[in-house]
Order: sequence, then C-alpha cells, then structure tokens
Amino acid sequence: MHKYVSILLAAGLSLGSGSLLATPAEDLEAFKKYYQQRFPGMHDQDLANGPYALDANKRIQWEAMEEFPPYEQFVDKGEEIWNKPFANGKSFASCFGDDPSKVKVKYPHWDSEKAQVVTLEGDINKCLKENGEKPFKWGKGPIAYLSGYFAYQARGQKINIVIPDDPKAQAAYEAGKKFFYAKRGQLNLACADCHVYYSGMFARGNLLSTARGQTTHFPVFRAKWERKSKSGDGLGTLHRRYGGCNSQVRAAPFKAQGEEYRNLEFFHAYMSNGMEINGPGYRE
Amino acid sequence: MKLIMVKASLLAASIALVGCSSTNETAEAPAASDSKSQYEAALASAEAAVDKAASVGGEWRDIRHKKSKVKYLPSAKKAAEAGDYDKAMKLLEIVQFQAEAGYQQAMDQKNAGPRF
Repeated sequence: MHKYVSILLAAGLSLGSGSLLATPAEDLEAFKKYYQQRFPGMHDQDLANGPYALDANKRIQWEAMEEFPPYEQFVDKGEEIWNKPFANGKSFASCFGDDPSKVKVKYPHWDSEKAQVVTLEGDINKCLKENGEKPFKWGKGPIAYLSGYFAYQARGQKINIVIPDDPKAQAAYEAGKKFFYAKRGQLNLACADCHVYYSGMFARGNLLSTARGQTTHFPVFRAKWERKSKSGDGLGTLHRRYGGCNSQVRAAPFKAQGEEYRNLEFFHAYMSNGMEINGPGYRE
Repeated sequence: MKLIMVKASLLAASIALVGCSSTNETAEAPAASDSKSQYEAALASAEAAVDKAASVGGEWRDIRHKKSKVKYLPSAKKAAEAGDYDKAMKLLEIVQFQAEAGYQQAMDQKNAGPRF
C-alpha cells in the first residue's frame, strides 16, 4: 500500500511540477503544440490575426476594414511625434537610434542592471523625462501613436524575446506566467481560460482569440475604444488592454506599466516568439 | 360611576402609553450610537480585509475601483454619512465577503500553471 502511495505521489509531483518548472523554451513548444492540436491545419502565423483567423465572416469584415485602416491617421501622428524635436533640440532618435523600424522588435526585454522588464512604452516615457519633457499618459493618446508608428515600421520582423539565464529574469518570467494562468476576479477567470482553453469559442458576441499571436498586433485600434472616444481615437496599448481584461472578469486592474503587467508582457510576448509583428491591428 | 371608571382607565392607559413611548425615545438614542459603533467596527474589519486582499493582488473590481459602477466600499461610507447605517452595513457585508474571497482566491492560485 505504502509503495502504491509513493508511486502515486511521485507521479503527481512530476506532473504538477513539470509544467511549473518547465523552461521558457519548453513552455513555448507546449503552447504552440496546444494550438496546433486545437486548430489543426491552421498556419501558426495566422494566429496573429486573432479572431479573424478563426471565423470566415469576421475575416471578410476585417479585411474590408483594413482597406482603409482606421488606425492610419494615428500612425501618422506617431511619425510626427517621432520627428518633432524636444525643447533641448534632441529627439526620440537620441534614445532609440535613427531607424524607427529597428525599435519595436527589441521590446520587451530584461534589464539586468535594474533587474526588471523594460517595455517600449516605459522607454518612451523614460526618454521624455531624460530630455526634460513631460511624460505621456499611459494607455492611449501620444504614447499609443508613437508605439503604433514603431509597430507599423517593424511589420514583418519576427518577435524574438530572450529570457536571459539570470535567476531574476527567470523569476520575472515565472511571475508573468503565473499571472497568466491564475484565476482572478469575481468571475474566477484566468487569461488562459479565455485565450487558451476556450480560444475559438464565443463569450457573448466575442470570439475569443488565441494568446499566441496577441502581442504581435499591439498597440491595437479597437472599435469599442473608438466608440468611447469623442475624437474617434481607438488606439490603445497592451497594458490598457490588460486592465480592460482584468476589469471584465471583475478583478481590480493593476497599474499600467506596473511590475505585474510588465512581467505578464514578458511571458505573453515570449509566447509569440517566431511570429511576425503585424501591428497596429484592428479589433472589435 | 361606570363612566368615571371607564374614563379613569382610559387615562391610565394613555399615561402608560406616553410612559412607554418616552421610554422608547430614551432607548432609541443609544440604539443610534450602537449602529454607528457597529458600522465603525464593520468598516475597520472590511478595510483590513480589503488591504489583505490587495496585498496579494486579489482585490476584486467592485469593492472600490474607479471602473466599477457599484463601488461597494465608497457607497457604504456615503450611506453612513447620510445616517443610513442599515444600508451601510449591508454594503460592508458584501465588501467583507468579496475581500475575503479575493484573498482566498489569490492564495488558491499561488501555484497556477498550464493544464496541458
């Protein structure tokens, strides 16, 4: 009897801890394999199109929308921000380099000196502060325009997030992973519930997209945000979306660019490694 | 004689009633302060539970977040300010429950991971 209990315990421990102690590379392979089995025959890159990869009618509407993309004017505004010099005569190029197409693909990344995940939006505001300028508000507006311009310039480049062999970086990745899989809020739902286990199914009228491929198209222009905005500005950052998702499951959202969402972005973006950047995207 | 007796008993009854009502009035004053002290104790308990839930990232939206339409905790405080302690106490019960449930949920999810 004792022998059987020991075997069962050992099996349980190895099953339970296997997923928790998996390396990021193993996590990614398992993630990709899961979606390949869930949506057989679908090309991996197509997951970057979210729900439009999963429903033919929605895809037709989306392709029509992309003929005259509503985010275009905000990408143009982002370009203006990029080109506008600061009061000290410098510009964003002094922080990010001269080629705007080489910026987006570097984020998010691990900063070993600060021992934290660095995001594109975080560095945009860091650049402003270092040059004596007022930082942008997180979530929407100019920060989303400039981020959208970087994404547009980077289209076609592959996401290649690196999780360094540094215990603190690994811990940040694990924290992001745990956040992703942890149920929260009054509705007791995890990110993974909607975007892994129920991906491809409907939550009310919304077709749930796959988590793989979500970060490729941010910042995103959402029709919902457009309707809320007096100016028709529907462009928003990834952390704005995280806050909205958490709020929808009736959990108190965390602060944009706080540690929780930066770590989540680290894991979330890593899970899209190998996919092409196609931002900014359009979503319902 | 009978009439006098009836009048006397009516008078006695009304005196007794007045006595009762005046007794009630004196009893209501401490009842109001009891409600207030009960509310204050419930508020302290609820706020401590909310802080505990928030400390582990388990706070739920409708307790006090700006995106919530109900905001139970600020609503309870408003009700108490308006003297409606019954309403305030009912709202604090919800806050207490949600905060404790949010904390428990966060604890239960400490080792969350993939199920595939």
